[in-house]
Amino acid sequence: MTDSAVACTVKSPVALQIGDVKSDTSRPGVYVIDVTFPQGQLVKIQDVSFKNYYTAFLTVRLQMKGSASQEGSVKWVTCLRNHRLMPNPHTEEGSQDYFSVYRHQMLLLPDNVTAARLILRQPSSSWLNFTLEEIKIHQCVNDDSEREVPVWFSELTPVDQVPDLQGLPDPQAVASSIQQMWALTEVMQTSQTAVPIGRFDVDGCYDVNLLSYT
Amino acid sequence: MAEKRRSGVSMAEPKSAKADSEEEFLSQLGVAALLRGSLLKLVEARPEDPIGFLADHFANLASGSEAADCGDGEPSRTVQDRLSQALWHLNLAHHSQRSAFNNNVRVAYELLMTGGQHLRPGGGVRGRIYTELLRSLCSEAGLSSSTSAPLLRRIQCQDHEAVPFELFRQGVLICTVFADYVRKSQSLYLAVSGGSELPAQRALCQAALGALRDALDTAQCADTARYLEASAKIAPCTLAQAMASAQSSYEAQAGTSMDPEEFEKEAAALFIARVQPVS
Repeated sequence: MTDSAVACTVKSPVALQIGDVKSDTSRPGVYVIDVTFPQGQLVKIQDVSFKNYYTAFLTVRLQMKGSASQEGSVKWVTCLRNHRLMPNPHTEEGSQDYFSVYRHQMLLLPDNVTAARLILRQPSSSWLNFTLEEIKIHQCVNDDSEREVPVWFSELTPVDQVPDLQGLPDPQAVASSIQQMWALTEVMQTSQTAVPIGRFDVDGCYDVNLLSYT
Repeated sequence: MAEKRRSGVSMAEPKSAKADSEEEFLSQLGVAALLRGSLLKLVEARPEDPIGFLADHFANLASGSEAADCGDGEPSRTVQDRLSQALWHLNLAHHSQRSAFNNNVRVAYELLMTGGQHLRPGGGVRGRIYTELLRSLCSEAGLSSSTSAPLLRRIQCQDHEAVPFELFRQGVLICTVFADYVRKSQSLYLAVSGGSELPAQRALCQAALGALRDALDTAQCADTARYLEASAKIAPCTLAQAMASAQSSYEAQAGTSMDPEEFEKEAAALFIARVQPVS
């Protein structure tokens, strides 16, 4: 349940354009956002979440470390190809929605990832700018389904296993009295505020500095 | 004396104006507020003896107004009077009726704080009066002095100390809760002994107290988890199993029993061990 968002560096979008970015008058239609993980950390991605801003199509490429046999080989693989974020690139629908891309939606399981590249495409010319915001990459947490069950849980007596009650006092009556005694003790304990009366407070006569001069 | 003179004056007034003077007379005295206050207290306390309760209430009010009339100087009421008044206030509401109980504690505190000219420098009730009050609370609730002595040792204050309100409230609450606790332990003993005249078996008593101790010793974690775990330890089926195994394992020593005083002492020790001493 608790996904841990991996600390990652998201670089600013780089436009892919033919020609010089500054002098060219036409607006770019492709941006690339690089996401790197600190200190060469290998991440097992659970999902990638982001907020869209007028991006129509998304392609995700991941740089994955090869298997242990081929040490040092990193390769770029495409995990998500032309994933449509806006049903119609010219209209508003989906333009500012929140998206999550999960590992089961990807073409390859994203284990041992060292870097990610998000390629944004917006073919429509109606929008001045387009990008992705709040990009977060969550990694898989350990499976919590085998969390330890508390000891007392397994020691509960099943209701149908009634023990032999001959000569024993009525457990209901005993239990009810003990429960009330327990509740009264709890009331007492929770009401204790540890307000001091100052019995052992001194008024400064025993400061070490003063004593050393006597 | 003053009242007789006053009634003499009103009788001298002419009969035609009597209706007006009655209403004025009542509103002058503030009787409406007086009666309303007494009825509210009555409803809050719901005593078994309403007339006695009202009598006590008006007696307290009377002694309170006397003190105001006498003015400052010597304390017009003895410490014993104030103590008994404070005790009366504290017995009005059960500690489970939280807001009423707190109100009564506040009233009792203010009653006991009025020390005439000699106000405590720290502000608060004198330790001697506080200890006396706790002792009276315990004895009025029917606790023997031997039962309440260990508790009082933990929470009583020195004669010269000034007890702040929080500590006062805590002490009073602990005493009233302890009284309930001891009563419950007596009914637990009855349950364990099966209601018979004979004293309860030692093994069974110790099984019951052991279960309570286990539940109280539950590890400190989130409240809900702690309550669940503790309640699992004192569920009827768990207790039935514990008692069955206790009885079977001690069958060779059948006959050893625990008398009620010892049981009460051990149960009280469980409670007192968890009371924080005053420091």
